[in-house]
Amino acid sequence: MKAKLNSFIGSFLCIIFLSGCTAVTTIDEYRPTNESIRLDKTEKVVILGRRDAGHYETDSEFIDCVSKKINTANVRVVAEQTFIDSIYPWFEPRTAPKGLPRLKRLMQEKVVRERVTQQNIRYLVWLDGSTETMGQGGSISCAVGPAGGGCFGFAQWDKISTYDATVWDLVELTEKGRLRVDSEGTSYLIGAVAPIPLLTPVKSDACGSLGNQLKKFFTVD
Amino acid sequence: MRDNKRKYLCKLIFVILILQLGACGSVTNVTVNKSFPAVLSTPKEVTVAIVFTDEFSGYSGTPNNKTTIDLGSSQVNLFKSAFKGLFRDVYFLNEQTPLPSDTEMVISLSNAEVQVATPSENYLNVFEVWLKYNLSVTDSDGRLITNWFMPGYGKTPNAFMYSKENAISQATNVALRDAGAKLLLDFYRIPAVNQWLREKSSESKAQ
Repeated sequence: MKAKLNSFIGSFLCIIFLSGCTAVTTIDEYRPTNESIRLDKTEKVVILGRRDAGHYETDSEFIDCVSKKINTANVRVVAEQTFIDSIYPWFEPRTAPKGLPRLKRLMQEKVVRERVTQQNIRYLVWLDGSTETMGQGGSISCAVGPAGGGCFGFAQWDKISTYDATVWDLVELTEKGRLRVDSEGTSYLIGAVAPIPLLTPVKSDACGSLGNQLKKFFTVD
Repeated sequence: MRDNKRKYLCKLIFVILILQLGACGSVTNVTVNKSFPAVLSTPKEVTVAIVFTDEFSGYSGTPNNKTTIDLGSSQVNLFKSAFKGLFRDVYFLNEQTPLPSDTEMVISLSNAEVQVATPSENYLNVFEVWLKYNLSVTDSDGRLITNWFMPGYGKTPNAFMYSKENAISQATNVALRDAGAKLLLDFYRIPAVNQWLREKSSESKAQ
């Protein structure tokens, strides 16, 4: 009877902790029309991170994650660094076009237009955002002595991921849509001799949601 | 037996402390050995001699007394690639080599400044590097066209999981790419260079 009660309490606590480790993700979408974005079988998409802000930059790990979500048999994605290197110096952090008027001027450069056409890149997706750790609470301390060691205490922290995606058409030189993903969650670290991390995958949740939503933008003919 | 164990533990802690204190006062030597991508631009029909002095080719920046950045070979690689994108005919020379007779413009490069900021200094979660170059642009007779100071800036995405050396090396690489991009996009916008090109073009039309 006592063993049953113990296992019940154990499972109950596990469920409470694990349910506390889920991220809440919200996606806002804007498209000028209800039509999906058409992509020829030969055409490709490139996903680039914005890196012109002073205090943060969209990390390439997140760009890779979203690229992998979108890169399927139908939608082909060009690797970020491959594209940036192929078109150097036009898409460096300080020289990349920030708006459509600048993109239109850039595409008037013959060498740039030719390189984009040569690589069959039809759409450019800009990702701008970061993941930040916000509120931190609790404390955990670890000690090692001749008789052994261990960690004791409890710590928690909140993480917020906010990313904006903007889709540009490199042929029509127009904006095809925007997406915004906000994901937040709390992670815990319990020190009960061994440290037990209960991490909320905030960033990977934001990546998954954004990637899946972006994939729905495109229809391959 | 117990005393031996305690002595051994004390010795171990002492060695760890010495190692940690040694690491605190260490000097960071950063080597940047990156190749740079080919440049996408249309070169103008000007014959230019680029002078890389021995000092420039072997330059090591010391932004502070604990950091040395070995920039020489990387910056030479970068500028060789960038200048080939700016001019149709380029000669790369050192200061001892005489100028070829068909040279129309001479550009001498020098390092003006290198600065580094670590997360403990800038209170941001990034390492930052600033580079400043001086380009002395003259015509083939040695008359000064312009003296142009060109900055380059680079930072790491964050400070997480980077050693100081690796972080400064990455930020320096971004700063070098930025300097190359700045040179390629802004060189012909320098008023004095623009004016010189217009005069050259009108002279060749008159001939």
